[in-house]
Amino acid sequence: MAGNTILEAKGIYKSFSGVPVLQNVNFEVKAGEVHALMGENGAGKSTLIKIITGVYTKDDGQIYWEGKPVEINSYQDCQKLGVACIYQELSVIPPLTVAQNVYLGREPRKGPFIDFAKMNQMTQELIDRYQFPLKPTTVVDNLGIGQRQLIEILKGLSQDSKLLIMDEPTASLSGKEAEMLFRIIQKLRSEGVSIIYISHRLEEVYMLSDRLTILRDGKNAAVLEKKDIIPAKVIETMIGKVVDESAGSRKMLHSDDKAEVRLDVKNLTDKTDRYRNISFQVHRGEILGLGGLIGAGRTEVVRAIYGVDQAVSGEVYLDGKKLNPSPKASILEGIGFVPEDRRNQGFIPLLSTTKNVALTNYDIVKVNGTTISDADELAMSKRAIEAIDIRPSDPNKQVGVMSGGNQQKVVIGKWLMRDLKLLIVDEPTAGIDVGAKDEIYSILEDLAKQGVAIIVVTSDLQELLRVSHRILVMRKGDIVKEFKNVEVTQSMVLSAGQGVEEEAK
Amino acid sequence: MMKNINWSKYSKPIILAVFIIVLSILRPKAFLSLDNFSNVLWSVAVIGIMVSGSIFVYLVGGIDLSIATLCAFSAVVVVSITHLLGDTTAGVIVGVIAALIVGMIAGAVHGVVITTFKIPAFLVTFATQSIFLGLAMIFTNNKIISCTVPAFTAIGAFKILGFPLPVYFMAIIAVISWYVLSKTVYGRYVYAVGGNPEASEISGINVKLVTIVCYMISGLTTAIGGIVLASMTQQASSSTGAGYTNDVITAAVIGGVSLLGGEGTVSGAIFGAVLMGLLNNGLNLMSVPSTHAGLVKGLVIVVAVAFDALQHADQSRKKVKKVKKAAA
Repeated sequence: MAGNTILEAKGIYKSFSGVPVLQNVNFEVKAGEVHALMGENGAGKSTLIKIITGVYTKDDGQIYWEGKPVEINSYQDCQKLGVACIYQELSVIPPLTVAQNVYLGREPRKGPFIDFAKMNQMTQELIDRYQFPLKPTTVVDNLGIGQRQLIEILKGLSQDSKLLIMDEPTASLSGKEAEMLFRIIQKLRSEGVSIIYISHRLEEVYMLSDRLTILRDGKNAAVLEKKDIIPAKVIETMIGKVVDESAGSRKMLHSDDKAEVRLDVKNLTDKTDRYRNISFQVHRGEILGLGGLIGAGRTEVVRAIYGVDQAVSGEVYLDGKKLNPSPKASILEGIGFVPEDRRNQGFIPLLSTTKNVALTNYDIVKVNGTTISDADELAMSKRAIEAIDIRPSDPNKQVGVMSGGNQQKVVIGKWLMRDLKLLIVDEPTAGIDVGAKDEIYSILEDLAKQGVAIIVVTSDLQELLRVSHRILVMRKGDIVKEFKNVEVTQSMVLSAGQGVEEEAK
Repeated sequence: MMKNINWSKYSKPIILAVFIIVLSILRPKAFLSLDNFSNVLWSVAVIGIMVSGSIFVYLVGGIDLSIATLCAFSAVVVVSITHLLGDTTAGVIVGVIAALIVGMIAGAVHGVVITTFKIPAFLVTFATQSIFLGLAMIFTNNKIISCTVPAFTAIGAFKILGFPLPVYFMAIIAVISWYVLSKTVYGRYVYAVGGNPEASEISGINVKLVTIVCYMISGLTTAIGGIVLASMTQQASSSTGAGYTNDVITAAVIGGVSLLGGEGTVSGAIFGAVLMGLLNNGLNLMSVPSTHAGLVKGLVIVVAVAFDALQHADQSRKKVKKVKKAAA
């Protein structure tokens, strides 16, 4: 079924400010095959795709299209070759119809006017050919995310694309929509269209792909043929055996069940079913790691516990007292929350360290009548700067211009000024340099020693093993696995998150 | 070294000084009289009063396009009620209180609609602008109603130490506004909500309530502006305060208040109001015909804002350099 090589990337190198991201990577797609691309976060998948689609320029290496060397310097270049990329962030325009979106910028004309009849007819032909559940005249505004994604695919097909790149296409699809997508992918393959399929979900890759390229730390780890695509083997290759033996890849978990329960979550269920019947406890002085794939519902659960979003049912108890789901109530009860998206949710960029640190703490900063004691506010911020070494140490520095690590310290610092019972941190070290990472880990460990219960949500497996005393793994909105007082490896956590039974030993 | 002087810190006084010097040279006799000085302050006062309140709205990232017509409606309310109660001093007092309440309710409606239905502020206040105009027309039968009750005209005309009363109102309101914004917890929350509403929400701030109160404050100072303006002109009509929406927003922008929210000070806004007053006064003294005044005003505003933007760009370049040095 698969024919000649259509796209080949040879010896690709790429580095960002001196840090190598891709090193001598080779990648090859044949006509009419579904070729999956896998690797952990940061393995270099999206960098490779961005080089193929002309978003980044490579430092070295050569790309061949149908055997001929080509230079791709922009997305337009790659479109001309017949490559279409279906991005996760959809670029469809809601007020327009399906047909108008498909032919946007390339509308068939009759004299100076758009020939709508012809445009609709051309779209209908494409829809019939691949049996898409769409109508050319439907306004996109009324369609769900899954159908919008199909419009993106139609767009690609309408340009006679020979290669479609799909980056996590099922991340925001329901089960039914995903099945529809799989059917269409198989149809496309039988028509000779090639597909590069990037996904974290092993079962999809297993079901769909003819071949699988695995990247690890910016290098080729393996190219597997269909018969070799076995979950245990894939996970082993992704993490790397050698790495698995080294420090940080396995850990003996210890947690103290006799310590008193601080947080007790009972049957928390989401309105839109992103998580359901979540029940767990966190003990005094315990660091609970919450693992799983992105989109497994972890962030949604911790946001509901803190009260930023509301669960439709279920209760949360802190030290035996039932919590009202609101950030203000949570703060007053002794909960701290470090959100996932630092820049948009964590701090106020235009304000100083002092004002950011004080923001949640005006119940403890001295206020004379209505006048804030500037001295007391400043003293608090100096305490925070001192306690966790925020740099620059100028309390009047705007937080927006500081480095990521120090911004995160400001976000954490404001909670350290309070009498905390529970601290929830979501992806605490995303985009932070190694030194600052270690500092943040020791802050968490110190807090745990003082009796604070801590929940760490992280997609970084090494981090999860490093900080956790106990680990819960979520998958598609359920807690699927608990690792407690056992030796755990990165593969075990990854397998649980992927929904693979423990063949990987 | 010259380069180490932080010019941006002094840009506002420098602009003011340049303005005053130019006007003094061009029209020494007319401009430099005490009478004219108090005239400038008089015309500045209304803008100053209103910008001291509407700055709250800009700081939370909103805008209020209904200032001019709410100003007219509150002017109409105070004058009509004074008439209804037989043109007495008591009537003036009741009228003033009613107008202030109308202003606050109008602001509360803005705030509630904007935060509850998540409609952009410019759309909501654009719509209410027309509603207030309509109300002012209905209440006056689309005529000018005059009011010469002494207790009423005193609001705008009475002088203490040579300065008209509105100047004192402006000073008091600006100081209160400065105090609230820089010394109280509520003020801190206003800057936080404007700077990052999502992070504010997560920090336990009632973003909705903070925003609604901002619009109420803006409504209140707009009503005060309307009362003062009506008193100064001894009349009220649907066109009282026409053009003030632009003047107030311009004063804020010239004064360095960001319409994106989270940045700006009352002193900056008052500087903007003074500059607008000087500009109006200058155009008057230079006998620039009113047909050309708008053109000149617009140009001056562009220059002032561009100058401010340049300063900002310069500052951020320095910041980048500093960060790079620190990293090296």
